[in-house]
Amino acid sequence: MRRVAVIGVGVTKFGRHDRTSAELFAEAAADALADAGLPATAVQALYYGNVVGSETEKQLHTSPQAASVLGLPAVPTTRFETACASSHAAFRHAVMEVGSGVSDVVLVGGAERVLNVTTEESTEYFAYASDARWEQTLGLTFPGVFALVARAHMTKHGTTEAQMAAVAVKNHKHGTLNPKAQFQKEITIEQVLKSAMVADPLKLYDCCPFTDGGAAVVIASEEVAKAAARRPIWVLASAAASDWMLIGDKRDLSRVPATERAAAAAYRQAGLGPQDVNVVELHDCFTIAEIVATEGLGLFEAGTGGVAAEKGWTSLGGKIPVNPSGGLKAKGHPIGATGAAQIAEVVTQLRHDAGPRQVDGARVGLTHTLGGNTATVLVSLFGRD
Amino acid sequence: MLTQKEFFEKAGAGELQAVRCSRCGALAIPPRAFCPECSERAWQPAPLSGDGTITSYTVIRVAPRGFAGEVPYAIAAVHMKEGVSLLGRVVDIPFDKLKVGLAVRFRPLTRNGQTAVGFGPR
Ligand SMILES: [Zn+2]
Repeated sequence: MRRVAVIGVGVTKFGRHDRTSAELFAEAAADALADAGLPATAVQALYYGNVVGSETEKQLHTSPQAASVLGLPAVPTTRFETACASSHAAFRHAVMEVGSGVSDVVLVGGAERVLNVTTEESTEYFAYASDARWEQTLGLTFPGVFALVARAHMTKHGTTEAQMAAVAVKNHKHGTLNPKAQFQKEITIEQVLKSAMVADPLKLYDCCPFTDGGAAVVIASEEVAKAAARRPIWVLASAAASDWMLIGDKRDLSRVPATERAAAAAYRQAGLGPQDVNVVELHDCFTIAEIVATEGLGLFEAGTGGVAAEKGWTSLGGKIPVNPSGGLKAKGHPIGATGAAQIAEVVTQLRHDAGPRQVDGARVGLTHTLGGNTATVLVSLFGRD
Repeated sequence: MLTQKEFFEKAGAGELQAVRCSRCGALAIPPRAFCPECSERAWQPAPLSGDGTITSYTVIRVAPRGFAGEVPYAIAAVHMKEGVSLLGRVVDIPFDKLKVGLAVRFRPLTRNGQTAVGFGPR
């Protein structure tokens, strides 16, 4: 494999938009190309993530649509759908296209629009990421899946609701430092604990919001990257793993085996370990998801992720800052865009360009994106020279 | 091999049907093409007793469209006596009695003419 770098990033404001997902993607992509200092004509392929477009926008064939709206009708495009991990899956495949020498410049990203439908509708569409016959018929929801994880983690390790709340408080605090974040206000432990129950033991403030938004990154071969406008941020690894689809087949709900497998593969590819990572953007769709992810990525021992959040070890200025962007919790979670947005944040951090939320001296960053019911996980590692 | 349709027809009649690998003895529910333990494709029917214990549970308060009229409702992961696990709706057990380790028994639930996995008190 040739070396591959990220040379441009672009993210829309996350929140409510009165624009289509293709329009949101086009804004992010134009920003990413401007950041890279490349003309649109340099793009040789588009790898695209979009999840519920067929439901919320009655739109399939979203990758050529996005390319057309961007004004690049002729480039080959592919849409990836691995639930919330879609644009990270797109990224991994794009890295292989550039790494293998097929292309020199590839545009990767995604977009989602969900705030144009009701919460009941979006809750139904997100539940499509669970098995239609075995699980959707039970009325299982996406918060319900992570509520089962939370209860199992609490039972096995003694994790508390206050520890989960600490994740929400920390990510909201980080979100105030990110002008693109959906939420820009701090919250307290008490507010989290007193918020409305969604799926016991998860409460409203344990859950990420529904979000509209787009994100894009430009990746390039070493030759192109070295001549680019910005300092290249190198892709040190990009790995994927899966796990059983059905909750019944997951033997220990306090763990996410796909995170452990993808992390092991990524560390092996990069020749690095968790101790080498300076900044992490990980998939905190729910507060418990961040706790379990910090354990699965090897940042903390199994069962201690809740303690780590409570002690501030994952805050900006802590041992290993997690989700300086505000994470899905505060930045927002436009599902098809999330993986690319996490990569954009880590690249910004490794450029030392993150302003008030900068992790001092960060040299190695990690992104982790989880799909739906924990059956898909992507982990990538990035570094600056 | 048991199809999904056949599984739910049997489940509707109160019978939980798993499959057992005739090479290595691994038990699976629902059926899958290859044995995940030994890659063999030689499954035999293996009826389950229906008895299990809760390994995790939640009470859904915000439901998908189509389920909104049913909230709140409980869903549990249940470890069956024979060693496999299933997700199901919990019925006839008060929410404040739900706990990890609670003994439950399979019962078919019918909703909109479709059978779903349910669990009630043992
Ligand atoms: Zn076998």
